[in-house]
Amino acid sequence: MKTSYLTGALVAATMIAGAAQANKLDDIIASGTLRCAVTLDFPPMGMRDESNNPVGLDVDYCNDLAAALGVKAEIVETPFPERIPALMSGRVDVGVASTSDTLERAKTVGMSIPYYAFENAVTANEQAGISDWEGMKGKTVGATAGTYEAIWLENQVKEWGEGTFRPYQTQADVFLALSQGQLDATVSTVEVANANVASGNYPGIAVVDKAPMVPDYVALFTMRNEYGLLNYLNLFVNQQVRTGRYAELYTKWIGEGEPASLTIPGVYR
Amino acid sequence: MFSYTFQWNQALARLPRMLDGALVTMQIAILSMVIGVVLAIILTMFRRSGNRALSGFATTWVEIARNTPALFQIYMAHFGIASFGIHLSPYMSLLIGITFNNAGYLAENFRGALKAIPDTQTRAGRSLGMSEIGAFRYIILPQMLRISFLPMTNQMVWAILMTSLGVTVGMNTDLYGVTQDLNALTFRTFELFAIAAVIFYLITKAITLSARLIAARLFRY
Repeated sequence: MKTSYLTGALVAATMIAGAAQANKLDDIIASGTLRCAVTLDFPPMGMRDESNNPVGLDVDYCNDLAAALGVKAEIVETPFPERIPALMSGRVDVGVASTSDTLERAKTVGMSIPYYAFENAVTANEQAGISDWEGMKGKTVGATAGTYEAIWLENQVKEWGEGTFRPYQTQADVFLALSQGQLDATVSTVEVANANVASGNYPGIAVVDKAPMVPDYVALFTMRNEYGLLNYLNLFVNQQVRTGRYAELYTKWIGEGEPASLTIPGVYR
Repeated sequence: MFSYTFQWNQALARLPRMLDGALVTMQIAILSMVIGVVLAIILTMFRRSGNRALSGFATTWVEIARNTPALFQIYMAHFGIASFGIHLSPYMSLLIGITFNNAGYLAENFRGALKAIPDTQTRAGRSLGMSEIGAFRYIILPQMLRISFLPMTNQMVWAILMTSLGVTVGMNTDLYGVTQDLNALTFRTFELFAIAAVIFYLITKAITLSARLIAARLFRY
């Protein structure tokens, strides 16, 4: 009698432990909802339409991922600096927020293979007399805090040893400051630069040059130890390209042309 | 569920940069307080002057400073006045924003302190042959500063905490700005902000404690 109680308790304990050890991928499937951290201040990747609904390439990417998993997508608006707290406190399952996959960051979170790559452009105030990227030397330049291009630009200013770097909290503030002449130039993704110049909201600015930096590869991210989910994300990114969905989304949100290649010749990932 | 492995050494390696930031934070707070006190005394005199234009100006200042968010005031000091073609560095914008706020609040503190000083003292001074300014300078002002000394400490603590709003105008050398920068670089959010919180706490605690010591020394009867 006693033994069967004991066995029963053991079996129950094992089941509970088993459930507790279920991984994130199982949790998402079981809960029926995929919660994505998306930055909605980063057109055309993430933004809001006239009726205040989240739209953009990142939003579509989250919806595709949810569809592949057979669950409902939930977009959680997450400004750039809040991506990690949102993930770690369990408010979101996956980040689809144009996150650059730097080695420094990969020490903290798990990155998928790149799902998009940005090229960066120099946009200048027309009064600043800047005609190429080297013209930024000695000027007051800025970018959106916490982005790949901001990190690059800050280092560039340090290397030049002259000029000032200013990070602003939102992309909108950067272009406002640029348009007002508080900044002489900024570096942003080509997509953002073109969208902002074309919008007409920021008079007196023009795209002058490409920034000579390694393309900004961005990855999906989740908890570092969730290998099951990370494997799934990698396959998902691969399938998006393979099925032509990547090119389709590129045409939808960025325009005509070839989307950037996501592989690097000469090396495995 | 919270799953995160704390790696303190990754954040502590950046401590020197954060301490440099703390110095900038204190510098801005102290400057904004010194200028703020002077401005607040001027505003208080304006309000007592009986001149409509001057007291109107001072009242408007106090009303805006006290009834709008500090974030708005700092934002205006940067993007607002820039639309008139005046470009200030983030440091200056932040300093002006906080100073504006400090002066408004302190002027109101001073008004309260003045209420506690009987009018008869001014009259007594005047009857001894002091000028209006002299009576204010030698009789009222010292008492006013003494009564409002502890509220001033409060405002100083506020000034320290308000420096964290500088990030909205592109400030990246103060404690909060440095922390944000490092966070973007390393994603060590929890460690970095925990350290920043401790530094903020220590600074403000040091201010309140030393203010209490100074008060005990200065205001012995």
